[in-house]
Amino acid sequence: MDHCLLWALLLTSQVRVSQCQNGFQPPVPQRVRVEPDFVSQVLSIAWDKDLTYPVLFYDIEVLRTELGEIVYNYTIEVRADSAGRFHHWNWTSPIPLECTSHTVRVRSRQQQHTSDWSEQIVPGMDIPVNTGAKMYPQDRVVAVGSNTTFCCIVQERKEFKSFKYKTSILNSTRLSRRSYAGTVTNQPPSIPSGTNVVCLDDSNYYTGTVVFVGYPPGDRDLVCETRDLVSVECQWRIGQDTYLRGVQRQTHYTLNGKQCKLHNNLVKSSKKDKLQCQLSVTLDQGEINWTLGARNPLGTIQLTDKADINHRVRPHAPLEVYTANVYSRNASVHWRWGPNGYRTLPLECQAHVNSSENTYTFDYSGPGVSEALLKDLQPDEEYTVRIRCRTQQNTWKWGDWSLDYNFQTIKERPDALNIWVWMDSNQTGYVKWKPLSKSESHGQIVAYEVTYWNPEEDGRRTLSLPQTQHRAPLCPGDIGDCVITVTARNSAGTSPAASITIPRFSAGEVHTLYKVSGRNGGFDLFWPPYANTSCGYVVEWCPTGKQDCDVDWRKVPAGNASARIESGSFVAGVRYTFSIYACSSGAPELLERRQGYVVELAPAQHVSELKAQQYGSDVLLSWDEVPLDGRRGFICGYTVYTPNGSHLVPIENITDPNTRSYMVRHLSPGFYKFTVKAHTSGGQDGGVTVSLKLDPSTDWLVIEILVALGAMTGFLFLITIFCYTKRQWVKKTFYPEIPEPKLPEEWPTTPGTFGSRTLAVEPCPHNTVHIVENPERESDKFSPEVELEEEEGDGAGAGESPPDTDSSDPVVLRYYNQVVDDGSQGPRSADSSSSSSSDSSSTSLASTRTDVTYTGIQSAASSSGAPVQPEASDMGGYRPQMTPELASAEPQADSAGPADFPLLGDFGGYQPQITWRADSRPASTAPWAAPHPSAPPSSSSPTPPLRRAQIAYPPPPGFTTCCRANPDPPPSRRHHAVSFFGGDTGLFQLISVFNP
Amino acid sequence: MAGEQQSSRPGSGRSRTGKAVSLARLLHRDCTRLLELYKEKESLPSEHSLEMDRIVSLCVSSPNLSTDERVWLLHSALRQCLGLLEYVIGREEELEGEGEGEYESVRNSVRDRLGHLLHTTRVLLKNEEETNVPAPDPDCNKVKEVEVDEGDGTFGVKLWIYRVLQELIHWTHSASETLHTLHSEREREQEVGDSESEGAEI
Repeated sequence: MDHCLLWALLLTSQVRVSQCQNGFQPPVPQRVRVEPDFVSQVLSIAWDKDLTYPVLFYDIEVLRTELGEIVYNYTIEVRADSAGRFHHWNWTSPIPLECTSHTVRVRSRQQQHTSDWSEQIVPGMDIPVNTGAKMYPQDRVVAVGSNTTFCCIVQERKEFKSFKYKTSILNSTRLSRRSYAGTVTNQPPSIPSGTNVVCLDDSNYYTGTVVFVGYPPGDRDLVCETRDLVSVECQWRIGQDTYLRGVQRQTHYTLNGKQCKLHNNLVKSSKKDKLQCQLSVTLDQGEINWTLGARNPLGTIQLTDKADINHRVRPHAPLEVYTANVYSRNASVHWRWGPNGYRTLPLECQAHVNSSENTYTFDYSGPGVSEALLKDLQPDEEYTVRIRCRTQQNTWKWGDWSLDYNFQTIKERPDALNIWVWMDSNQTGYVKWKPLSKSESHGQIVAYEVTYWNPEEDGRRTLSLPQTQHRAPLCPGDIGDCVITVTARNSAGTSPAASITIPRFSAGEVHTLYKVSGRNGGFDLFWPPYANTSCGYVVEWCPTGKQDCDVDWRKVPAGNASARIESGSFVAGVRYTFSIYACSSGAPELLERRQGYVVELAPAQHVSELKAQQYGSDVLLSWDEVPLDGRRGFICGYTVYTPNGSHLVPIENITDPNTRSYMVRHLSPGFYKFTVKAHTSGGQDGGVTVSLKLDPSTDWLVIEILVALGAMTGFLFLITIFCYTKRQWVKKTFYPEIPEPKLPEEWPTTPGTFGSRTLAVEPCPHNTVHIVENPERESDKFSPEVELEEEEGDGAGAGESPPDTDSSDPVVLRYYNQVVDDGSQGPRSADSSSSSSSDSSSTSLASTRTDVTYTGIQSAASSSGAPVQPEASDMGGYRPQMTPELASAEPQADSAGPADFPLLGDFGGYQPQITWRADSRPASTAPWAAPHPSAPPSSSSPTPPLRRAQIAYPPPPGFTTCCRANPDPPPSRRHHAVSFFGGDTGLFQLISVFNP
Repeated sequence: MAGEQQSSRPGSGRSRTGKAVSLARLLHRDCTRLLELYKEKESLPSEHSLEMDRIVSLCVSSPNLSTDERVWLLHSALRQCLGLLEYVIGREEELEGEGEGEYESVRNSVRDRLGHLLHTTRVLLKNEEETNVPAPDPDCNKVKEVEVDEGDGTFGVKLWIYRVLQELIHWTHSASETLHTLHSEREREQEVGDSESEGAEI
């Protein structure tokens, strides 16, 4: 086996040796040389040509030496007939070449056969001899938006920690044992001192580098000219900021190949974005190109301006401007030129004169102009003058303005005053004049002189007024034909006289008053021309209705019958009165008057004295007009509103401004509110509201009462007729005959022993009333016949002992009040239980044969929850009163059944009545009295009210008594029941019911 | 401070030392602010550590120096600091042109006030004729000349400026303390002198 391997290796070596010997292996490249350019990161690779063995292909590889990482691998083809004795190849590294060592190797290739590598190493700065920390590239200048790869070589025995580009962390890639790389993309412009890129190690010690990111030069708009006729000045705009500062990176300029340097011939113009370079030249070069070169590390540009500099003369500013002679209306100005060449240069100059009120420009021309005459100036006025010039031929640009020079013209006498007169009565008023403006006064006014002259009296009187006063009183005494003359005086003299003849007072004269509308802050007035005017018209205005107004006026030349009146004193919403006078040699003559608002506003006040008066179903609203001060416009009308919830609903829009009332018609009784608002073209006022309660009409009330009385009368009449015709039925229905009850003969009058008596439930002796039908009267409205039977004789009683009140047994008097239904009676009326006043009759009608048995007095409580009986006074008949105390003592079996309730509660016949008073005195101390069996008879009323007699003293405790019907009632009366009840507490109550 | 000025006659030695103390303290605050502005302008990492060797170092042979001698040394250090600062200004203008920001304003103010403090301390030293100039240590190197490692490029210059600004903070702080000590001593001397003269009059 081992022998076989040896043979195989030997055979392989023999084959390779034979290949070389047969020329299959190309020759190794000789004298490979690598030149690094660290700034441009380029490796220049060169090797000698093999002249004996032409090779057309070479393999080139670049490796990062320490890690053996191939970063470039390329096969190049060379021309066999290329000139030179060596081959050359450039490779640009993506990282600075200082970052790590690079191995460059080259081999020749002949088809698939290659030679051995020939290599060179370019050492980086991370080799062990350099122990310090470094970053690369250093101080690189790159364009905005470009990408840059930085590398950091950490110090020996330190560990890399991070990259920081300004304040952000960069991703890093390891290049070698100590070298790391990081790339920044799309870099923004850096600050003037450059952008810092920092590398930190594990001990937070850092090293770094600076990159300058900016733009190439962006200068533009080159313009060249001369100013001093011996040099050329070229000016241009800087354009975009390059963001590159400092001596090494800022933009450097050349003009026609000569350097422009700051603090020498390169200056910043007054406009910050411009630069200017100056070169000494001769002007006889004709038209040539002026070329500006701008260069920085990122690029170079050239700007060209082709010009004959002789045609581009922009003069400097004139020097030492002064005035040689100054008068009231003109002045002469002189100046000096700096460059000597200007003295013969044809110039065109401007003098700019400025005063507080006006600005003038004067033009002058000539060779080397150096003086000017300023005309049409105002006396006593401060002026500022400045001069500039340009060439008269081949006009180029205006030169610079000279410095301002101030001077003041001398004074003159004032102009004539503009006077007017204002009268508010025949004796009061004033003459007024407008203050002279500065252009009219020609100097400070020191006083005014007013002269009064009456031609008839030929007397004069002069009044001197201070400069601050601009009005004077009218002529003293009779002002008729009085002439007032006013003059102003300053230090230079007295103004021409201004006179006016005082007119007759015309306030009371009737003149047609027209309205005039304001427009654009003023009034346009037109009036018919007046033939007799000699000096035009005067339009005078004043706020309407204002006492002692500060009148204003305007004089209109003759021939003009219109004027637009504008004044800064016009106030919106204020009415002005305009008076138009014709000016003549005598007193002014009033032509017409007008009133108007410069701007109408909504009224500030509402109508006054708003009242509402009722006229039947109508309401008359009346009001007074809005006060003049509050109108703020011409009243166009009024609007009447009535509120509907929170809104006002207009019910009438009155367009006649003279209307002062409005009738609101056909209102039904109720509460009303009305709001009245006045309106102008500027809007409505806030409105005023009046309220009114509309009462029904008195006539209607009387009519309604009369109708109601008539209807009542008719109704009563019909009732009367009906009752008369049906009187028999009514009598039987409402007043049936009631049988008299038969009472036992013995009436207990003596009470028994109190202490031994207990409350025992024993029926009282009672009578039985048999109601016997009368068949004969059945067909007619039946009338039950009642028979009273003696209880004592009735063996069918319950076997109880007779009601012997003298017995020593506990006396229990029970009063049975039951209607015994033997079952033979017919069905009861359906409404018998609910009938009230007519229960007695209805009950009688309900049975054909009724036996009435008074079996005892049932307490209200024993009625097993029956409702409390209405008081007897409300009943139509007689019925018993119940006592709550008996409820517990009365056996339930004895209580009235459901069928009995109508009878007990509603029956209007014979029923004993009694009530307890819970607030009665204690029985032990209160005396009591026995019932009186014979109550006074009732009156003969057909439906006598139930009368109640109260016994003030309660019975002894436990005492109970029963009052039975009087056995012998008088025939004329029917004494139905008298009952007594005793109890532990309470009042005895005697109730008598009388029926006819 | 106001009390110091009130207790000192205008133009007196105590008044001058008091003003020097105030100026040194003001300058120290300005230098601190200047370094903050520089770090802010250059976005330098705050967690860094730099060489802490003094650029300005003074070596004297005597370990125990009087206050006046220390003021003299201080004056020497401040003079070097002013030289460094002016060099910094020149390099920065060369690097980035003439700036008009707050940093440049404070920097120029520090330069002017540092010159004023130098003048003040020089006046203080002139008034003390008896002040002995301390003998320099023969074994100690001379004060370092202005040295910038140009091999580190612009970033190296920036780090060097950073260190110069730190030196300014150090020496202005030292100046405020030394001058305060001097001020206190002279106040005490003045009080003793005043009490002795009063005793002599009595």
